[in-house]
Amino acid sequence: MKTSEVMKVLALHRGNAVVVCALGMAANEWWAATRSEDSFYMHGAMGFAASFALGLALALPKVPVWVLNADGSLCMNLGCLLTEAGQAPQNLKHFVLDNGVYQTVGAVPMVNGGSADYVGLARAAGIPRARALDDLGQLERQLPGIVEEPGPTFTVLKVEAETGFLRTPPMTYEGPEMKYRFGRALERRLGITVFGPQGY
Amino acid sequence: MDVNVRIHEELKKNCGVRLAATLPDDWVAPLIRRMAADPDVRHVPVAREAEAIAICSGAFFGGVRSVAVIGATGLLTCTGEMATLNLRHQIPVFCVVSMRGSIDDQRIYQEVQGRRTIPLLQTYDFLYHVFDRPEDLASMPDAYETCRLQKRPFIAFLTRRLVKGEQA
Repeated sequence: MKTSEVMKVLALHRGNAVVVCALGMAANEWWAATRSEDSFYMHGAMGFAASFALGLALALPKVPVWVLNADGSLCMNLGCLLTEAGQAPQNLKHFVLDNGVYQTVGAVPMVNGGSADYVGLARAAGIPRARALDDLGQLERQLPGIVEEPGPTFTVLKVEAETGFLRTPPMTYEGPEMKYRFGRALERRLGITVFGPQGY
Repeated sequence: MDVNVRIHEELKKNCGVRLAATLPDDWVAPLIRRMAADPDVRHVPVAREAEAIAICSGAFFGGVRSVAVIGATGLLTCTGEMATLNLRHQIPVFCVVSMRGSIDDQRIYQEVQGRRTIPLLQTYDFLYHVFDRPEDLASMPDAYETCRLQKRPFIAFLTRRLVKGEQA
């Protein structure tokens, strides 16, 4: 599967999920597919998009939250699986784009040669609803069921590595602007208060 | 009143905290046990301190006030994430942290924390305030509001005298 194709399928089935993207490939490809402002695109803290998404899911228990993680980011914070399992948020779906390389920096091979069994790790951490998908048709058939099942769920999406550096450009805004666009989008959509009366 | 009861009350009643992401050292463990037993506060034990920082950052966007309760050594492990997530996006995160390595904390494995933690926070331009005596805790809500206003990490340090008492 190509990452861009996977993103289009995910976008089609997203519904009203709030999406958190790991930095690099996941963030850039989700932006390219959706131009979504009610998504948060990590620019740093590699490995911790999953933890950010968990905090959001716990704060908004009635709102579906997806994290679009990547294999490099997951490996930097495997403990997130234990914390997710411990909290067991029913509204959290964890997707991992697995291409076996650090794509953003030029497709450098992953630690352990990309041969780790992430589904096995998730199950061993206490997330039984875990699977890997490596075919676009399979993803299209199974995704509606994955969206409906209670979380936490863990889905590895086996995608092709690109050659060389990531070519998909990043989102067109960053830093504090991303904070305010994302927070204001959630305020409008969900009727919650993120920022106080003076705007901070 | 037990100092941990007081800190818990300040965080919950006067700061509005409803989520606590925690990883203990022995000084903050009693506070964590109290918060974990509170049905009004979502307790999130984590495997690494940077998880607590990111969880609190996510909770911010859900409109939930949170706190990370961690040890000084753990604080040193997550300053990179605080810089590239919280400074980069101006996301406030309030941390209650043991102030290890002080002159009354004669533990060899805390000596670097005692010398280098404050200079490190100053280098990053993270905010901090030292809570040394029970009467200082009345300032906790002001510290929390300052964290939100300044839109960056704020470290509320608990001294040994505060958490262990004068005679410890």
